[in-house]
Amino acid sequence: MILRNLSIPLLIVTCTVSLIWWAFPEGLSTARTLGIVLGWAGCGLLLASLLLMLRETWLAQRLGGLERMYQWHHWTGTTAYVVLLAHPLVLAADVWPDSRLLAWQTLSPFSQGWPIWAGWLSLLFLMLGLAATFIMRIPYQIWRLLHFGLGVGVLLGLVHLVLLGISDPVLPILGLAVSFLGWRLIRDDFGLAARPYVVGSVKSVAEGIVEISLKPLADPTAITPGQFVLVAFLGPTFRDCGEFHPFTVSSIGANHEICIAVKALGDCTRHIQSVEPGTMVRVHGAFGTFLADRPPTPQLWVAGGIGIMPFLALLRAGPVNQPTTLLYLYRTEVDAAFLHELQVIAKGDQLLSLKALATGDKAPDLDSLLPDTQGFLNYECYLCGPPGMVAAFRKDLHNRGVTPHQIHFEKFEFR
Amino acid sequence: MRRLYLSVTLIFWLLVTAFWAGSLWLPPAEKSAAIAIDKSITLTELAKHTAPENCWVAIRGNVYDLSVYLPEHPSQPDILLPWCGKEATEAYNTKTKGRPHSPYADELLVKYRVGILASGKP
Repeated sequence: MILRNLSIPLLIVTCTVSLIWWAFPEGLSTARTLGIVLGWAGCGLLLASLLLMLRETWLAQRLGGLERMYQWHHWTGTTAYVVLLAHPLVLAADVWPDSRLLAWQTLSPFSQGWPIWAGWLSLLFLMLGLAATFIMRIPYQIWRLLHFGLGVGVLLGLVHLVLLGISDPVLPILGLAVSFLGWRLIRDDFGLAARPYVVGSVKSVAEGIVEISLKPLADPTAITPGQFVLVAFLGPTFRDCGEFHPFTVSSIGANHEICIAVKALGDCTRHIQSVEPGTMVRVHGAFGTFLADRPPTPQLWVAGGIGIMPFLALLRAGPVNQPTTLLYLYRTEVDAAFLHELQVIAKGDQLLSLKALATGDKAPDLDSLLPDTQGFLNYECYLCGPPGMVAAFRKDLHNRGVTPHQIHFEKFEFR
Repeated sequence: MRRLYLSVTLIFWLLVTAFWAGSLWLPPAEKSAAIAIDKSITLTELAKHTAPENCWVAIRGNVYDLSVYLPEHPSQPDILLPWCGKEATEAYNTKTKGRPHSPYADELLVKYRVGILASGKP
């Protein structure tokens, strides 16, 4: 567990420190040395960031899950951006005391030709790509295109080094960066790593929510309850938006048939509501460690709306092994997917206590939902639902003395 | 992270603007920095400075002492070292790959100028 938690930081430190160590300049002024070190640090961080965007089950298992990889991918990308912005500024500051003109010419691509143009273009691509990442309201397709520009920015940064005449170790790094980008594009985005399934049945389970069963057409994907898969519907009569969407698995059958629940939250998921049996599907995964390695202590599960899926998958797989309180919150009765089935399961499982509540459009009153102020100190708490709900419960549980290590949640956020 | 992104991007552009503005208001000393050093240096004398710690190079009729600059040159040292003690205008103009050095490099050279190359004298 400790090794798994340290795996990504170790990877990032190894990438960055080894590059700095290899390229550390000698005999230069402090500012120029710092400027060069910042450039190499940014290069190492970007390389680690590219590795962390790969969606491979074996890699996710070793690095603590896809969600964790994505959090570190964001962190390394942003940190690389900060140090790479500082890189030319520090180099210019180094010569500022000698000559202001030279300081500006250090920065200006008009004075320096293609090597510096490549550096500037790299920074501008990174700037635009990150702007798209941090401006959440733009449409997903535009966001995706601009985010892809980040990869172009990384390659241009390496071209900047090659044009400066630094071919070693830049060419091997350039090869690695191209490999990671190509790997992501071909295996993940084009679906080479995904497996073929076919839609078996489609059932409406609540307003705007359908449960779709998927039958494997080849070797099935290995999945445990609580995990999610990336799914693309590929016609020929039906097509979604041509990209993989994450869906939590709601049941895993003995014949490896799986079910996913799709809520109409956007254009694509609304279109998927009309999918018909027989439609070809590609399934990539499974990912996620949300309900993995649960200790044998009492548990509190809190589900908001479609967030019931990981818990439902676990309950459908068999009775719970520890005293468990399931708090299921939904907006109105028509949104309460699987409520009747959950009530039947709870009636037959003495260790499971189900509390289901329609909260309306208002934020739920946590004091009335969790009245026992001291009773959750020894509980492991699992939260799945809208970000606002998860944040509110985390704060409330923390105020009640539940430690962060006892609170588990997945942001389920892929931007 | 959004706040971090916005702050560092804003600071970056402010500093770039400051460097640009700084280049427009040059102090008088810098404006006259390009005063020529008229010491005449023969090819024979130039050829005595071939070591990395004592590297003189003749480019476009001027002689430059690049000993201090050598570690700062972006490419590998073995690209520049062979030109110590020699006339290197062609290599400077083409970077041995058909690409000229930038105006920035021209400006940078001025700092290291030690004299002019005596024409026609060994």
